[in-house]
Amino acid sequence: MKSLYLIKPYFARNRDIILLGLFCLIVVDVLQLFIPRIIKWAVDDLTLFQINLKQLLSYALYIVGISVIIGFFRYGWRRCLIGMSRSVEQGLRNSLLDHIQTLSASYFDKVKTGDLMAHATNDIQHIRMAMGMGMVALTDAIVLGSASICFMLYINKLLTLYVLIPMPVIVLGTRFLSKKMHRLYQEVQGSFADLTEAVRERFAGIRIIKAYNLEEQEASRINTISKNYINKNLRLVKNTGSFFPMLLFFSNISLAIVLFLGGRQTITLDITPGDFVAFISYLGLLTWPMMAMGWVINLIQRGRASLDRINKILSTRPEIDDTTDAKSIKQIKNNIVFENVSFSYAKNTPLILSNINIKLKHGAILGIIGPQGSGKTTLLNLIPRLFDVSSGRILIDGINISRILLRDLRSLVSFMPQEPFLFAGSIKQNIMLGTAETNDSQLISAAEKAALYDTVRLFPKGFDTIVGEKGIILSGGQKQRIALARTLMHDRPIMILDDPVSQVDMETGNLIIKTVKSMAGKRTIIIVSHRLSAVRFADLIISLDKGRIVESGTHEHLMENNRYYAKTFRLQEIEEEFNAN
Amino acid sequence: MRTNFGYFEEKQLGKPYDMKMLKRLYPFTKPYKLLVSGSIMLVVLIAFLDLSLPYLTKIAIDRYIVPQSASDKADVSGSEIRHLKVNALEPETREIISRYPDIFQISGQEAVIELKNLSQLSKNDLTELRKKDFNGLNIITAVFICIIIFSFVFNFLQVMLMEYTGQMIMHDLRMRLFNHIQRLSVSFFTKNPVGRLVTRTTNDIQNMHDLFTSVISFVFKDMFLLTGITLALLWINWKLALVSFSVLPFVVFASMYFSTSSRTAFRTLRIKIAEINTRFAETIEGIKILQIFLHERENYLSFKKLNHEHYIAGMQQIHVFAVFMPVIELLGSIALAAVIYYGGGSMIEGKISLGSLVAFISYLKMFFRPIRDIAEKYNILQNAMASAERIFLILDNQEKIPQPVTDSGYKTPDLKKIQNIVMENVSFGYTEDEPVLKDISLEINAGETIAIVGRTGSGKTSLINLLLRFYDPTSGKITINGINIKDFELSSLRSKTAMIMQDPFLFSGTILDNIVQGQNNISRQNMDFILEASNCKSFIERLPDGLNTLLYEGGTSLSSGERQLISMARAFARNPDLIILDEATSYVDSETEEKVRQALYSLIKKRTSIIVAHRLSTVRHADRIIVINKGKIIETGTHDKLMKEKGFYFRLNQLQLS
Repeated sequence: MKSLYLIKPYFARNRDIILLGLFCLIVVDVLQLFIPRIIKWAVDDLTLFQINLKQLLSYALYIVGISVIIGFFRYGWRRCLIGMSRSVEQGLRNSLLDHIQTLSASYFDKVKTGDLMAHATNDIQHIRMAMGMGMVALTDAIVLGSASICFMLYINKLLTLYVLIPMPVIVLGTRFLSKKMHRLYQEVQGSFADLTEAVRERFAGIRIIKAYNLEEQEASRINTISKNYINKNLRLVKNTGSFFPMLLFFSNISLAIVLFLGGRQTITLDITPGDFVAFISYLGLLTWPMMAMGWVINLIQRGRASLDRINKILSTRPEIDDTTDAKSIKQIKNNIVFENVSFSYAKNTPLILSNINIKLKHGAILGIIGPQGSGKTTLLNLIPRLFDVSSGRILIDGINISRILLRDLRSLVSFMPQEPFLFAGSIKQNIMLGTAETNDSQLISAAEKAALYDTVRLFPKGFDTIVGEKGIILSGGQKQRIALARTLMHDRPIMILDDPVSQVDMETGNLIIKTVKSMAGKRTIIIVSHRLSAVRFADLIISLDKGRIVESGTHEHLMENNRYYAKTFRLQEIEEEFNAN
Repeated sequence: MRTNFGYFEEKQLGKPYDMKMLKRLYPFTKPYKLLVSGSIMLVVLIAFLDLSLPYLTKIAIDRYIVPQSASDKADVSGSEIRHLKVNALEPETREIISRYPDIFQISGQEAVIELKNLSQLSKNDLTELRKKDFNGLNIITAVFICIIIFSFVFNFLQVMLMEYTGQMIMHDLRMRLFNHIQRLSVSFFTKNPVGRLVTRTTNDIQNMHDLFTSVISFVFKDMFLLTGITLALLWINWKLALVSFSVLPFVVFASMYFSTSSRTAFRTLRIKIAEINTRFAETIEGIKILQIFLHERENYLSFKKLNHEHYIAGMQQIHVFAVFMPVIELLGSIALAAVIYYGGGSMIEGKISLGSLVAFISYLKMFFRPIRDIAEKYNILQNAMASAERIFLILDNQEKIPQPVTDSGYKTPDLKKIQNIVMENVSFGYTEDEPVLKDISLEINAGETIAIVGRTGSGKTSLINLLLRFYDPTSGKITINGINIKDFELSSLRSKTAMIMQDPFLFSGTILDNIVQGQNNISRQNMDFILEASNCKSFIERLPDGLNTLLYEGGTSLSSGERQLISMARAFARNPDLIILDEATSYVDSETEEKVRQALYSLIKKRTSIIVAHRLSTVRHADRIIVINKGKIIETGTHDKLMKEKGFYFRLNQLQLS
């Protein structure tokens, strides 16, 4: 229940609306109880023929009048209470996104996107249902249920007691069955998960299935799993299927009691025929709250469980955050230093980087090369603190970056990651990401530098072209150049490029390399590339292997060294030569 | 929950396809005609039983509880007075009458007493006087209880029957979809992420559950209830029935208005939630970019705006419901008021009984419940239709590798043993303007080992894709034993080949399942040979469950080398003519590397094999080495020949050796 603090503010803020909604709801419930009374009066008078048309008309008008009032108040509570649940939904979803954005990259390595999505959709929906319909049904059940019982007691105590006999059975039965149903429901969910995983696996391994002619065999396996799912469902339905008919059965038993005992009492003049009819009406009003109870409890419990899950996310603190003594820094004057930096993703897992020492003067260019998995990208991620070092320090102008305000540190860096991630907006929006600029000339200049402008001009809508989810309509090279232009939009002291020319052709690559070269001296540039012509001109080139620096120096120095760099360089020379043919 | 987000597909949700979709779903219910009609019969029975309850109450009131009025005995004021008639011949009754001579009027065999004077009788006398009514009431109650027991049983049976039928229909649909997707060509899978396809086969079909189980039966139940009530009302008193039906045009009008506006509200809500999901997923996946570019604030604000639009759409939906529900209730109450007024009036005139009036009131309540439920059923239907639409979109996709035409007397050639494979001027590209392979010509003879060398992206894997007919060439042709491979059955072509990929894909299940892959006729001896040859024996023997060891999610409990060995065993089990290896050694840990190499060697011995490799050391012993660059064959020959030519291959070797 500790998660309740999450929704308390909404109760406080919307107190008036909630109170108004509850007021409307209670008014509706009470007025609803009067209609059976009016029917009773009419029936009693009619039984004894002590009524004329005028009086009948007034009864009819009472009913219509009360119904009109009920209608208005019903609109009121729906609007207020269910509307409130929508506003809680909105608020929670906003805070969830807001919070998730502050969490560190390592969190997202641990948690699957699908799970987070499930929280954002299903859990929030469960909370909404519990808050809206759950609350309404609960209030309804309590007010309508107890008021009906009161009216019934007022008519005849003995009869009421007899009629209520099946009710505890209903409540107990609901409790018993709902526990069993919960267990079976989880089995169904589990078998649904099996089915999903089985289908996923087959689609993921479709090439093997095709190459080995396994289509029929796999279909028969899915068939088995799907049948198993059906059986689990049928077992559940055996219970749910008897549940509602059972509720109906017991409430009908109450009706039979009214018919039998109430009928006798009417004959013996203990109650009037009108009372008898009204009793049947009240019973009708009582049945629904009884049947709803089980459902409501379930709804609220589910909502509570969801609230706990949301709370768990919201109370996760970002691993990477400002320390209390964090400094503000707006400039780099001297250098960036890596001091004995080691990194692993978690304790007791192999080191991705070990003992990295680099000293880079501001304005210099650092090139990083090495085979796949050697730790190049990890090293880049440490600079804007997407991850924190496991040991050692990274210093900017002598200040440990973990003591610099995160916002300040990141505003020093413009970063182009290896995977060009695009958002589903226009090309312009993607390039302008994170800038307040609305000036097109800067946009065009960035696009030109990224060798993108000519391509974009060919699109009918130019920069306003919508790129679709993750840039689905673009080729890899186009996406990469948009990501590069995005990086170039930001005139920041440190520029980090992670393999910026991997997906573009040779000529375009050369243009991009020229752009990077032209910025030498103005910014500190760190560039990772598999194409060595992109790092050749760097002031310092380091070659990583299995997380260690195995060689470092200038191009000339490394060529003399004749190791990984020199070999790869010559290989690429041959390839380029053949490509030219 | 597995979600699918992406508002591209949501946009298609514009037009009312509902009827079209229902028509297409209908054939799936055909095999279960008997079950469906059984279930509908039960529904009708249940509706009938439901309807009989208020009628029973009416009989109880009119016959036994409240005595019929004797209309011939009008009092001075001219209005009617309710009397109780008793048989004056019975001795017990006669005794009572004699005790209260003032209030009984005897006429022949009957004695009549005014209802309001009944209270003057003693309790015992009253009980004695109405003995028959008590008996009648007992019988009615007994019938009532029988009916509710039957209703309980029928309800349960109906739910089970419908659930079974619904599940079977969904199962058929799921299998049909799975089989269809499975047979689509590889290019379809590169365009459609696995997650989406999984969602179609699982969640989207699940969405139709309520349609098949509750909606269909409830629609019938509601229809019967409505007609049944209408008939019952007309039968009890047609004039009063017509009076209470006077609100119906308004109900119809309100329902129509509601269904239009709720459809709009529902769709807006769906589209908005899909957009929210996309945005949410995008935020999670692009979190690094957002954080590095300090774009969190802006992203939050635009999300907030979208979220608010969703809220507005939600409020709109609440508004629609908040108007509709009370309006229907109000119309119900007006009908009730009309019944009280007009029915009461008729009763004063003695035209209908009290019981009829009470039954009318009960029936009216039952009449309005199904109408209110329409809203809920409508939402379920909409949801199901949206899913059906997406499912049929896939079922309509015919992106298959064309099979040879077998009708018109043409028989597909048998592929007994691969003698030779020829590629003639083959060109290929995944998209039109980007050729990956250009004008490849190549001949491979049975028993040869061919190595393909070239840098990443040069077209090596594409070449393999063409041989296995994952794709067809854009121009040129591939023949086996002189016959175009398009003329073979896909399965007969693929049954002669085995592929080993760089990332060995294993299914969850036992190791044995993964090796035999459905060929259950492998003898024990043969199995021993397979395990021996593939070098699997030693490590499988070390596992406590041996061949029956369960592998989870892609076989992560084994090392990559061991997984590769299992995939070798899988290839051995097929005993194919042609082996295709796609950089099979590149992901193997150094311990098992030697074992993999040995297994590989025994696998390709005496078979035709095509090896795609990065490492030059693995291809040295090939009969022929083909060097591909930018989609073209630039060199071909044995290792020695290529080394003598001093071309690309030679220089690559020089580099790797130094």
